[in-house]
Amino acid sequence: MKFQIERDAFQNALNQVQHVVASRSPLPILSNVLIEASEGGLELSTTDLDVTVSKIVAANVVQPGAITLPARRLAGIVRELPASDVEFDVSADSVATLQSGASIFKILGLPPFDFPHVGEFRNPREFTIDQKLLRDALRKTSYAISTDETRYVLNGVNCVIRDGMLTLVATDGRRLAMVEQDLEFPAGQEVSVIIPTKAVNELQRQLDIKGDVKVVISDNQASFDLNGSVLVTKLIEGNYPNFRQVIPGPANYRVIVEREVLLGTLRRMNLLVDESTNSVNFIFDNNQLTICTTSPEIGEAEETIDIRYTGPRMVMAFNPEFVIAPLRNLDQDEVYIDLIDTSSPGVIKIDEPFLYVMMPMRATR
Amino acid sequence: MHSSSPYDSNQNAPDLSSQELWSRVTASLREQLGEANFDLWFAETKLASATRDEIILIVPGSMYMIWIEENFKNSLISTFTRYLGGCDKILFRIDESSEGPSTSSDESTEALPSDDAKDLEIRVGGLSERELLEKGHAVGLMGSYRFDTFVPGENSELAYAAARAVADQPGKTYQPLFFHSASGLGKTHLLNAIGWESLRQRPKSKILIVTAEQFANDYIDAIQKQTLGAFRKRFREADLLMIDDVQFFGGKEGLQNEFFHTFNRLSDTRKQIVLASDCPASEITQLEERLVTRFQWGLAAEIHRPGLETRAAILRKKRDDWKMAVDDESIDYIVSRVHGNVRALEGALIRVSMSATMNEKALSIPEIAELLADICDDSETRNIGAEEIKAAVAEHYDIEIAVIDGKKRTARIAEARQVAMFLVRDLTDWSLVETARAFGKDHGTVIYAVKKIKKRMQDSGAFKSSVELIKRRLIRCTGSGDAARIRQGKAIRDVRSSQNLGQAEPNLKNRKRFK
Repeated sequence: MKFQIERDAFQNALNQVQHVVASRSPLPILSNVLIEASEGGLELSTTDLDVTVSKIVAANVVQPGAITLPARRLAGIVRELPASDVEFDVSADSVATLQSGASIFKILGLPPFDFPHVGEFRNPREFTIDQKLLRDALRKTSYAISTDETRYVLNGVNCVIRDGMLTLVATDGRRLAMVEQDLEFPAGQEVSVIIPTKAVNELQRQLDIKGDVKVVISDNQASFDLNGSVLVTKLIEGNYPNFRQVIPGPANYRVIVEREVLLGTLRRMNLLVDESTNSVNFIFDNNQLTICTTSPEIGEAEETIDIRYTGPRMVMAFNPEFVIAPLRNLDQDEVYIDLIDTSSPGVIKIDEPFLYVMMPMRATR
Repeated sequence: MHSSSPYDSNQNAPDLSSQELWSRVTASLREQLGEANFDLWFAETKLASATRDEIILIVPGSMYMIWIEENFKNSLISTFTRYLGGCDKILFRIDESSEGPSTSSDESTEALPSDDAKDLEIRVGGLSERELLEKGHAVGLMGSYRFDTFVPGENSELAYAAARAVADQPGKTYQPLFFHSASGLGKTHLLNAIGWESLRQRPKSKILIVTAEQFANDYIDAIQKQTLGAFRKRFREADLLMIDDVQFFGGKEGLQNEFFHTFNRLSDTRKQIVLASDCPASEITQLEERLVTRFQWGLAAEIHRPGLETRAAILRKKRDDWKMAVDDESIDYIVSRVHGNVRALEGALIRVSMSATMNEKALSIPEIAELLADICDDSETRNIGAEEIKAAVAEHYDIEIAVIDGKKRTARIAEARQVAMFLVRDLTDWSLVETARAFGKDHGTVIYAVKKIKKRMQDSGAFKSSVELIKRRLIRCTGSGDAARIRQGKAIRDVRSSQNLGQAEPNLKNRKRFK
């Protein structure tokens, strides 16, 4: 196996695949990147057995072949190489020689046939979606994923496709984030799968703001093909509970608030929040919102901002982190907070199909 | 949680029909939660049956179950307790007929792992497994470290029995209980197991499990934030305080002082303290005498390295727990080759199993041997005994072996003797007493020697490398167990020592300068 490649392109591709690599793995080969050279160029792949990422990159392949090399170390070497081109030569006993300018590296690899391969897709269903759309949808929901391992079906984003609509949902039992998008999909077919947290994070990193992503979903895994790189993940087995049950009915009051103003205020109030109570008070009153927090051991803070609200005075308490998370991941200037009364869940909405349900805490008065 | 435990509220509950009870409970909840909020969560919830031991609610979907448990557990328990005089556990049952169309009908079976597929339990008295896990994780216990996952063997009998006794009767048996062993032999496992068992038997007891480092960080944090009061309250009001890696206290005076008072308060109020360390209390460097004596008050239980049979039993259990397809023969082979701690054994097992999964066939013994080659080598140091070490040290210092055992105390000879003692403690699993006997000294001398060498190794890089040089040579030469190689190694050493080994220190310094 022998090829030449531009250093920057190679480094770029390595960076994109190396996040999946486990830092300490019982199997040495899982720390390695699989490099396959063929006429078309190079394909780099890494896996932790749950998530597999591969990336195609152009190269001048003189002699096709394959090898696996320690991913992090290789990325580190390529980053520091002196010349803009790298020449790569692999011997039969899995030793790779990198030559760039006057510098020569010989790196011991492992043979490629030990590298685990992605299983076959049973009952595959396919659709195409705009990359930016999927990236935004994941960003708007993924922070609500539960980290409670005893509820493993909630440890991912539920992805439902039905009636020309794609719905992404995440919840941890105290809050729920949901995004809906129109999607062309063969009528009569339905999909409901749970994409695990690690794959969600990796996808957010890989998705771009332009172009499409081809998604293939089978019974136990899903693949995302984004123009040159492919991410394959196992899915969480089990059924996601019916989330529509916890979305409250029509609201009595609507609060309109500038997102960045509220976010800034909450960040400041959050500095004084006590770990044991974890709550700040929201006092909605006649076009004003006062947010305050008191902690017996730290001190207190208060800030009032302008909002649009004409209902009665209401005092509610929320976990500030639970309000900050959606605000940080939206990009609209204005957001709505829909309220029923002081003890029912509040709902954050925007002018697009998104909603975020959050349970209030007992307000301390 | 509510204020009265089911054990002390034994007065008869008012006799209510289940319908009447539910209407009272809902009226009260309606008031607590607010009209609209109540309707959202409980309008379609029904009461299936209610006794003080068990309340069964029917909810129209598993999402209700999760949100109700997350948000209203305490309200439910206290309300039922008020009308029923007690409330041991609350079970949820999913009414499938009202499941929405968004999920398939068998959903709840997989929504939550629970003993009974359809039920979610909230227990107050005896905890359900779920509750137990939740509580345990909240105090920082590690999930898989329970008594039933611990494999006691001849190496850990005393430690295991003591841990059991303490979990059953905290504060009454050994105060404190002090575990010590080399790393990876199960100290942390036993600490956690005590925690889990105590929590299971006494769900209300306050359990604290921290590493000494965490204790230190919290302490420093408390000083910075001026919340020492809260810090002290937290630690001094625990019913069971478990501190891992207490050797970390060594040399930290302020911390030792704080811990000293914590210790006294807990033992005065007859609360249980359990400590774990990688060496006996007396060997912890720079630990105040008053703490050493306190650590030695109760029971000090050492966990030794497991023997062959125990190692095999441990791995078989791990294999069964992790449902790995590795046969007994392979396990016997692994334990015969991997002599190190339990972590090394587990690592070897995982490697064999994963490799087998990926190759889609069981591995043969030679294949396993190849796979584990790198783990096996550095674990063979167990073959080294005091005699080999003395010989190596004598050679290094260019003195007779007999001198090491002798009574001469010139600086050079004393140093050689101390290094030899240190290496015996470091490289073998000999106890203090055994080590002392091998040198014809008492164990106090050995403790002193080990401390001194450790200190010198910290202070002087050159000294450290020279000790490590001896160590490496010892490991390398006994590594294969191959007599020819030992002889060859010895021959090489003989040549080397005649040239320059006597002055290993200056020589190493030279080498450094070249770099």
